[in-house]
Amino acid sequence: MSGIFLRAYFRNQFEMNENELIKLILQGERDMFRIFVEKYRQMVFRTCMGFVHNKEDADDLTQEVFIHAYRSLPDFKMKSAFSTWLYRIAVNASLNKVRRSGRISFIDWIESLFGSESPGAGQLFDTNDPENIIIKKEHSQWLQRALDSLPEKQRTAIVLSKYEDLSQKEIAEIMKTSEGAVEALLHRAKKNLREKLSGRIPKKNK
Amino acid sequence: MISFVSNHKSQLKMNCQLCQEILEAYQEGKLPAGMMTQLESHLETCDSCKKLSEIQLLANRVIKLEKETDSDPFLATRVMAHIERFEDERLKTSSLGVRISRPALITMSLAAAVLFGIMLGNLSRPAGNAGMVPVEFALINDASLESVDFLSLE
Repeated sequence: MSGIFLRAYFRNQFEMNENELIKLILQGERDMFRIFVEKYRQMVFRTCMGFVHNKEDADDLTQEVFIHAYRSLPDFKMKSAFSTWLYRIAVNASLNKVRRSGRISFIDWIESLFGSESPGAGQLFDTNDPENIIIKKEHSQWLQRALDSLPEKQRTAIVLSKYEDLSQKEIAEIMKTSEGAVEALLHRAKKNLREKLSGRIPKKNK
Repeated sequence: MISFVSNHKSQLKMNCQLCQEILEAYQEGKLPAGMMTQLESHLETCDSCKKLSEIQLLANRVIKLEKETDSDPFLATRVMAHIERFEDERLKTSSLGVRISRPALITMSLAAAVLFGIMLGNLSRPAGNAGMVPVEFALINDASLESVDFLSLE
């Protein structure tokens, strides 16, 4: 019976209201949850990728996010869009993963010890011809270090902006803050990123 | 930012700080034509801003590559398998609870019924000297009583 429902709703998934789908899942039609997984899989993966910069870790995190979302479905009040709620879970899971790995504190500690310029793009590769440089793993790590050095709120705002192309209004809804606050976060994040990427250590700010 | 700058372009001179602020918009093709020309002229003369522009281009390429990476195509299957296991375990836990609680409930009900019966029985018995024979009856000698046959003779 649930198989028939599943086939029908795969065909008409965009016609059915997401809240109605959630109600069905909570009533026991758990196979319907696959519709959400297929629809939002890449979105969640991209968000996680913006934090961990590694496909395997991002895949594991994405799975973790959807399992957590299913278990927390009874707590979803439908006051915001399902995608907004899912973004929040993805961001929190990604930040927890980064905190657990201890990457940020190690980088901060090293920089505080030596107090010198961190390796910037110039030391990693020749920037005279950026269009034709073959992107390698160390380029990802270079970007990752720069992003990891940002405070969590700035990092969240810049990842949602750059990796998900979300508007300031959408980011504000996900972060439960105002558009003005998001604008300020993005401004500071971009400034700090510029300095970090070019090899200058930014001043600590919130 | 961009609208402010374009509205006041006659008053603003291109400098490194302004250049760095609008570099991203320039790379995304969002700058008005006049400002684009000013910025490009500045980049030709300023090595530091030119280098920053190249670094930013590179960072954008890395981000684009990461964005275009595909997630695991079997993710939905893995997630649903995990959910099935989770629901099965939840069902087992709840049925185990029922298997333990039902007999316990029946046993407790029976014990309560027996206790209630005992209490009721105790309430119906006369209080105080219940079970003790009165003194007057203890002095009666059965042998001195007339026989029943005597009483029945008329």
